[in-house]
Amino acid sequence: MTVASPSPTTSATTAAPAVEAVALRKAYGPINAVDGIDLSLPAGRIYGMLGPNGSGKTTLIRLLTGLVSATSGEARVMGVEMPSRTNLARIGYMTQADGIYPELSVWENLSFFAALYGQRDRAEMIRALELVELDGRLGTPAHQLSGGMRRRLSMACALAHHPAVLFLDEPTVGVDPAVRVQFWDHFHRLAAAGATLLVSSHVMDEADRCDELLFMREGHVLAQGTPADLRARAGTDNLESAFLHFAGLSASPPATAGSSQEAAR
Amino acid sequence: MSALRVTAVVRRIIAQFRRDPRSLALLFAAPVAVIALLGAVLSGSGASTARVAIVSESSQPASAAVVSRLTAALQGQPTVMVNTDVHDAATARQMLKDKQLDLVVNIPADFTVQSPKLQLVTLGLNPTGEASVIPNVQQALFKAVAGNLGGALPSIERSTVYGSPDATTVDTLAPVVVGFFVYFFVFILTGISFLRERIGGTLERLLATPVSRAEIVLGYSLGFGFFATLQVATVLAFVLGRLDIPSLGPVPAFAIGLGVHTAGNPLISYLLVLILGLGAVSLGIFLSTFARTELQILQFIPIVIVPQALLSGFFWPIDQLPSLLQPVARVLPVTYAIDGLRQVMIAGADLTSGQVLFDLAVLTGIAAVFIVLAAATIRREVA
Ligand SMILES: Nc1ncnc2c1ncn2[C@@H]1O[C@H](COP(=O)(O)OP(=O)(O)O)[C@@H](O)[C@H]1O
Ligand SMILES: [Mg+2]
Repeated sequence: MTVASPSPTTSATTAAPAVEAVALRKAYGPINAVDGIDLSLPAGRIYGMLGPNGSGKTTLIRLLTGLVSATSGEARVMGVEMPSRTNLARIGYMTQADGIYPELSVWENLSFFAALYGQRDRAEMIRALELVELDGRLGTPAHQLSGGMRRRLSMACALAHHPAVLFLDEPTVGVDPAVRVQFWDHFHRLAAAGATLLVSSHVMDEADRCDELLFMREGHVLAQGTPADLRARAGTDNLESAFLHFAGLSASPPATAGSSQEAAR
Repeated sequence: MSALRVTAVVRRIIAQFRRDPRSLALLFAAPVAVIALLGAVLSGSGASTARVAIVSESSQPASAAVVSRLTAALQGQPTVMVNTDVHDAATARQMLKDKQLDLVVNIPADFTVQSPKLQLVTLGLNPTGEASVIPNVQQALFKAVAGNLGGALPSIERSTVYGSPDATTVDTLAPVVVGFFVYFFVFILTGISFLRERIGGTLERLLATPVSRAEIVLGYSLGFGFFATLQVATVLAFVLGRLDIPSLGPVPAFAIGLGVHTAGNPLISYLLVLILGLGAVSLGIFLSTFARTELQILQFIPIVIVPQALLSGFFWPIDQLPSLLQPVARVLPVTYAIDGLRQVMIAGADLTSGQVLFDLAVLTGIAAVFIVLAAATIRREVA
């Protein structure tokens, strides 16, 4: 399968980091869902955002896409201050809840979102469905798909317009292992072609597939670095223990990040 | 504004409804069924014979002659039975109350030959049903009085024992029903569709694309405008058209459609209803902000729909509402649609009529206000 390069960026913005946050904060009443985050993520890499439920991953993505307005601070994507409607054409967003229309077929969902992004190339749309292995179910209404299939359709809808920056909010939840492997292979191809991916997860099992990790807790980024780097800094060979180390919690008894809430997504 | 994106939204809405045959059926079959029922009920009650008495409260010498002329004229009518035993107004009124009479023709105390005036009195408990006896009586009266009084047409006053008169028949109800149904269905369907966007997570997804709020509102308006157009066409065809089916064996003859006479241009009626419908789309989007579940959208029916049914001239003329409620009636969009539809369908007004233009202007203004409100409430802020 060939991978088309992401939409070309203007020379003025290529120098800027793909994703930037400056003292970004979002308060919901007394809760600081995102509590002063600074980020500067160069393009062409896969960033994994790891943290238990409620650590602010979804809110951070919503701030970066301009879907919620920041209480304070700034968010920039490809050097453009968000919210910016035109900049959204270069961004792909796979929401945590599947943002697809249950009455519509696989093809109707995909072509609807593709049209909103200005993507009219039928071959590209088919290719996005091939990647998620839904090209054989073009006419199936989305409500007849399994949970994992809906997740895959949701992914195709975020990819079909070849975004330069992709925000994927817990993309692999409910997706079977074989398709997961394929997803990650594709993520790496996209990154190699210059795209930037920010992938959130509340479990650690895919963390090693990311180029760089952001450990998140209570609206803060606890630590940032490559998986190997974070392990070394925490003095452990296990990312879960590393998370607990940076969270200021003791490494024993062993527990997974957000273990108590893992079932309740 | 991108035509491609607006088209995408329109096509999506149409595709969604194609998948929902129940809602589609509701959209087209329900108004037709209700109007058919209404037509059947009203024409059924019109078939019975009206028991009529003619009395006089006038001391004018001419009035006795008028009474006998009217009696003679009405006795020739097939659906009228004149009770000649009653002569004074008080007795006649009592007989109306006792349901021994359906209609009393009264020559009032201020009757003069120069300005002849008659009163038609019914009970007033059920103005719509009672009104069905009036047209043929009225016809006969016009002829009798005009012949008798040398050309001066009498003015005929409607009055009732209880309440106020309202000469509503299928003809005058049809425009009302057309306007009201479109408003009702468009509001409910848009409200629920948009609520589903909000709670189903697709609105967040939509707002993460380059589509603008104006494009969403426009797409929704065009999509639902498409269905409103089909609905109006269906309803108008049913109300205005009439296809008589002859009796066949044991099946008696019947007619499909009401064959209501419309004086004006159906396209102007359609224009009125379309602008009303656009306002309803935006109102649905706007109010979906204040609902968390589909049940809560239905809770807007008593707040949004019922007052418009009561106050918009559906049942009672605005002028006869209590003065406190008149200003309320005058801010309701359905009021102006019904007024415009009546002007066009009954009085035959066209776009040169100041009243119709005024109604169109007010409807456009109301729609514009709600379009702005709708666009403002599709906030980028979601979840
Ligand atoms: N719309 C909202 N209103 C109020 N609180 C919210 C809202 N969205 C998120 N929060 C709160 O912000 C915190 C972070 O939530 P979220 O970003 O969804 O975390 P995560 O995606 O990491 O699970 C949670 O405490 C959550 O309750
Ligand atoms: Mg989340």
